[in-house]
Amino acid sequence: MKYELVAGFETHVELSTKTKIFCSCTTAFGGEPNTHCCPVCIGLPGTLPKLNRQVVKYAIMAGLATNCEIAEVAKMDRKNYCYPDLPKAYQISEYDKPLCEHGYIQLSNGRKIRILRIHIEEDAGKLVHAHGDTYVDYNRGGVPLIEIVTEPDFRSVDEAREYVEKLQLIMRCIGVSDCRMQEGSMRCDVNISVRPEGSDKLGTRTEIKNMNSINNIAKAMEYEYERQVDVIENGGKVIQETLRYDDASNTTSSMRGKEDANDYRYFRDPDLVTILTSREEVEEIRKTLPELPEVKKERYVEEYDIPEKDASLLTKYRKVSEYFDEAIEGLKTPKTVSNFIIGSIFRRVETEKDKESFDVAVSPKQLNELVKMLEDKKIQNNLAKKTLEKMLDTGKPCTEFIDESDLGGVDDNALAQMCQSAIDSNPAAVADYKGGKEKALMALLGNVMKQSRGKADAQAVRAKLIELIG
Amino acid sequence: MVTREDIENIAILSKLFVAEDELDDLTKQMQEIVEFADAINNAPDSGEEFDNINNLSNVFREDEVVESLPSEEILKNAPEQAEDHFLVRNHA
Repeated sequence: MKYELVAGFETHVELSTKTKIFCSCTTAFGGEPNTHCCPVCIGLPGTLPKLNRQVVKYAIMAGLATNCEIAEVAKMDRKNYCYPDLPKAYQISEYDKPLCEHGYIQLSNGRKIRILRIHIEEDAGKLVHAHGDTYVDYNRGGVPLIEIVTEPDFRSVDEAREYVEKLQLIMRCIGVSDCRMQEGSMRCDVNISVRPEGSDKLGTRTEIKNMNSINNIAKAMEYEYERQVDVIENGGKVIQETLRYDDASNTTSSMRGKEDANDYRYFRDPDLVTILTSREEVEEIRKTLPELPEVKKERYVEEYDIPEKDASLLTKYRKVSEYFDEAIEGLKTPKTVSNFIIGSIFRRVETEKDKESFDVAVSPKQLNELVKMLEDKKIQNNLAKKTLEKMLDTGKPCTEFIDESDLGGVDDNALAQMCQSAIDSNPAAVADYKGGKEKALMALLGNVMKQSRGKADAQAVRAKLIELIG
Repeated sequence: MVTREDIENIAILSKLFVAEDELDDLTKQMQEIVEFADAINNAPDSGEEFDNINNLSNVFREDEVVESLPSEEILKNAPEQAEDHFLVRNHA
């Protein structure tokens, strides 16, 4: 029998606010243990939490960017559980009145992944288990999170992968989170079940936690799908439980519950007042949202004639698309800028992290100047490419590397002469070419480029050579 | 109606050990506590719903960092500490 995978996601995203959700301690990552703490975030009695305005704004932005409705009335609740990562023995979250509801993210196959809700809550502290004991660092305790909960709308691992990538792109683009899975600023829990193909009843689900990369999410889902199918095929029943994914062995194993009974006894947090959001405020925030990656990508393809694959690369990192937007200012050929970024600059900015910060020696304005010279036919493409490399090495503008003698390209007469000279001095290559070896032309082309010191236009040289060889 | 099972469950959630012979007494006491709290349901009210007693909403803080306390201060009340961490002994 064939089985269909059914999955839903719960994603925690750490918001990029400067301070924690209920106190003014910094949210900076790392730091010496227990140095980003105060009486509020270590849960001392008698302290009063006060909600960070920016958290509400960021959560609304996240909601709008994922097509959610924004609640006019929202409130905060206490989720009670006893575990050392929570000094108050409850987490402040939102239960029945979350800030955002009923959104969706559309996938490339046309399917919509429905977002049930997005709510705000506080992160827990970090536990380090060592020497049989537990060491607690509350620096992360109280860092603001949004939890994005989808409906069980995923039918394949590829859909899950695309969703997480899209979510990451969107959150980074609107600037509410850096979404670094390795650092834990984005964490996904996956609810997964299987059912016979064609059935519309949901099977028993398990929840997988502890995956710190998109690849691990995919691997864990594949493993868990196979495991559940195996259990059913062998006449067993899938048990509803929480599983931990182990990267090293690529397996999932049962996690002992934080609470024996899953009873959080939610109730309204009496220390925190209602959050009212007027329709005007929502529209104000909507106006501040930048163009979303998906929209931007389509615009690059349609307006600038950039191949879809390249447009995806440009819009994958916010800083890269900002760089591109600035570099194409006033140019007729944005595509050339795109080619230079992806062809030359990306080779020097290899890691994900580097592309995120996109700290490049050549400023967008300098790249713009270079491409402008190319557009004005003052220089040829290959010289431009070489010049760009030198600019990237030194951070100096293109005028430093292009002298008078480089300008203006090569006129037709001179070009014809150079081509003839190349043909005369390479009879073997000419013979090879005539014999059907297309590649032999490259030797002649190289010769001409050398004669012109890179100024000649490769396309024109090629055409001339073919014409002269006849 | 509070049951013995409720008490057992509350004990688990509260991480309290309750001996078998205490269960009946505690069940009775808990029932009395709930009944006492229930008295508020009989209090007269205007029938109007309200959110909180001060009728406040949107009390926010600006997102500006204030220096945290030194870790010695933070750890001052910790029953046990080690290497600038709160230490939780594993009793399992």
